[in-house]
Amino acid sequence: MSMKQQPKFSQQQQQRQDEQQAAGHTNRQQAETAREFASAEEVLRFDAASTTVPPEIAQRLKASAASLAPGQTKSWWRNLFGR
Amino acid sequence: MNDPAEGPELMESPPGGWPSDEIASLYEQHSRAIFYLALRFLGDPQRAEDATHDVFLKAFRKLDQFRGESSARTWLYRIAINHCQNIQQSWHNRHIVANSDDAVWDHSAARTDSPLRVLETKELGQRIQNTLDRLSDEYRLLLLLVADEELSYEQIGALVGQSSDAVRGKLHRARKAFAAYFEKTT
Repeated sequence: MSMKQQPKFSQQQQQRQDEQQAAGHTNRQQAETAREFASAEEVLRFDAASTTVPPEIAQRLKASAASLAPGQTKSWWRNLFGR
Repeated sequence: MNDPAEGPELMESPPGGWPSDEIASLYEQHSRAIFYLALRFLGDPQRAEDATHDVFLKAFRKLDQFRGESSARTWLYRIAINHCQNIQQSWHNRHIVANSDDAVWDHSAARTDSPLRVLETKELGQRIQNTLDRLSDEYRLLLLLVADEELSYEQIGALVGQSSDAVRGKLHRARKAFAAYFEKTT
């Protein structure tokens, strides 16, 4: 039986199929998201990697750090590497 | 691809307006970890932003005292944990419900992500925050620290003032609690 012989049914079938495909696509996306996280650590690592540090923090810090004494901005690293 | 001619990360002259290359490097390497800890521990992006600023400024001021007995990451975490716990204590004394306004949660999504990804990430971020908010401060902190792959159980134990065995035991319970609450927050 071809689909063309029953156009009305086919139309409904197609609509249902489209809906199922759409639902399946959504479910697949959710499943993929769920599959990615096997543990709390994985969830948090993904979350951390998705987190953007606001650039305002660096701007504020540069302004705040500008008032520090020059000696304060040198650490043991500088001695270690002879810089 | 990196240009080998650019050399190591520590540059000769302070880059990008930072007062020294060490400060620039410290911020570049650890700002995400510290901001994330503050974000999820405090549960408020604006307070996390302020806390991150204050933590790094404290670190910059004490940089000449840092001897390297611990890694820079654990040193910064120690400052951050103390700072966030003080904020949390002060906040709890004055407020009951934290502000989780949608607009401020936009920090949780990378700005270069597609809209769908941003939406998914934002929803996931809210779900994670809701889950973490239901845990005790101790469990929340342990999970956030263990999620940082740069830290060993020994380092986490040192940060929270417990043995690595105690950390392992509590993490087991913290993971179970997280999973149970995470399932309920769908």
